[in-house]
Amino acid sequence: MLKLIGSLLVLLVSSYIGFKMASRCQERPRQLRQIITCVGSLRSHIIYSCLPLHEAIANSTNGIYGPIAEFFQQVANLLEKNASLTPQEIIKKVLSEMEGSLILKRPEIEVLYVLGGNLGVMNCKEQEKYLSLVIEQLERFENEATRLRDLNTKMYRYLGICGGLAIVIILL
Amino acid sequence: MTDNKNILIKKILEQSIYPVLPDQLIAMISAISLEHLRDLTEIRLRINQPLLLVLGNQDITVNPMGEVVVNYNEAYLCNQDDIQRTLQLMSKNSLYAFEHQLKMGFLTIDGGHRIGLTGQAIIDAGEVKTLKSINGLNIRLAREVKGCADQIIPYIITKEGQVLNTLIISPPRCGKTTILRDLIRQISMGSKIYKGLPVGVVDERSEIAACKSGISTVDLGIRTDVLDNCPKAMGMLMLIRSMSPAVVATDELGRAEDIHAVREALNAGVSVVTTVHGKDLSELLHRPYVGELLQNKYFHRYILLSDDPRVGTIKKIIDSSNNKILWEGAKKC
Repeated sequence: MLKLIGSLLVLLVSSYIGFKMASRCQERPRQLRQIITCVGSLRSHIIYSCLPLHEAIANSTNGIYGPIAEFFQQVANLLEKNASLTPQEIIKKVLSEMEGSLILKRPEIEVLYVLGGNLGVMNCKEQEKYLSLVIEQLERFENEATRLRDLNTKMYRYLGICGGLAIVIILL
Repeated sequence: MTDNKNILIKKILEQSIYPVLPDQLIAMISAISLEHLRDLTEIRLRINQPLLLVLGNQDITVNPMGEVVVNYNEAYLCNQDDIQRTLQLMSKNSLYAFEHQLKMGFLTIDGGHRIGLTGQAIIDAGEVKTLKSINGLNIRLAREVKGCADQIIPYIITKEGQVLNTLIISPPRCGKTTILRDLIRQISMGSKIYKGLPVGVVDERSEIAACKSGISTVDLGIRTDVLDNCPKAMGMLMLIRSMSPAVVATDELGRAEDIHAVREALNAGVSVVTTVHGKDLSELLHRPYVGELLQNKYFHRYILLSDDPRVGTIKKIIDSSNNKILWEGAKKC
């Protein structure tokens, strides 16, 4: 009886790990898509409404929920309350605070960091060009993340379940 | 009166100026007594030059402890970081939102305070594209002085309650915008003697109405519509077509298209109250565009201002039809 309970527990834990890794795999392209949506919306608010940066960033998250919306909202709040900090300093700060909830890789984080360095310091035309470039870069990352998701999601799930079963068989 | 002035300058500094200055400059200026600061009209920052506070006709410098000093060698010298940080705070990290203003060499911050900028101009197709390497800032404090146009009102409103076309003429820093603002308020509000009229304001530099997110932060009366941050010529015609004002008010005429728009407004039966930079009528007559308006006597009244003995002194009110001086004197605003 004890062996059965132990085996079940091992199977549950390994399956959980497998499913968790699969969900992270699925979450990354979703977060990247949300960033692209926010940056696209930010571009519109800058070019067509000429809103101050903090307002433009806050408005860019309309209709978006989860860690990415929270990230942009936090950046907007800090920009409004602490205009003496540059957008790059603020993005760096918020990125480090939200490290756990953002499923982004180093190159994607670097794009966000460099984005901060170029926000608000150019005229509308240049800002539009730059934000379009950022969107292009992010779309490339998104395509890669989608490819990895399709490739790895099932694998992680099977690996979790099968790995658990293998451990149970070995232990039994 | 002194107390009121002290309260007013304290309010302006705390609400509008300190939020756009770096901490060390705030510490220096706030250390100066309000007795000194009450006549503050400008704060000038130039790279490697002393921080200058302009008080009416004179200016003072301060040392890093905020003590007023006469010797420039002891004065605090502004550095590039002061200018950069101030610019960053003024633009709220959003220079693109001030692109149009930057081309003309200024920004307007909350409260309608205009910040003049100097630096290197970037030219594209013969026009200033933007300014880079900003090396100097001039923070000009705007004040809302209710009642400063009391002396003018009887001369520009007829017995029938019609507003005469009025041109306020003065050199820079003599209170043109402050007087225009009070004129707008009084025309819009009306009084026991005359009826309030709808006024359309084209505020190209966001100075008259000091708009924040498009909403006026000063009292311009209950019948006033403001078109903020819009080029004068375009805005005047837009207002006439859309808001049917009886009076159109705008600041600082100068370009050919402004003059054309004023003519259009006058031909449309709308009264115009506006301002222009200049010392006196004879000088203005020889200026391109504006001179034409004067020669053709488009305006009924000329109001001449000066800063002697104080900013906002009404020097003369002139009837353009016969160049008769209707009022001459020195009224402090």
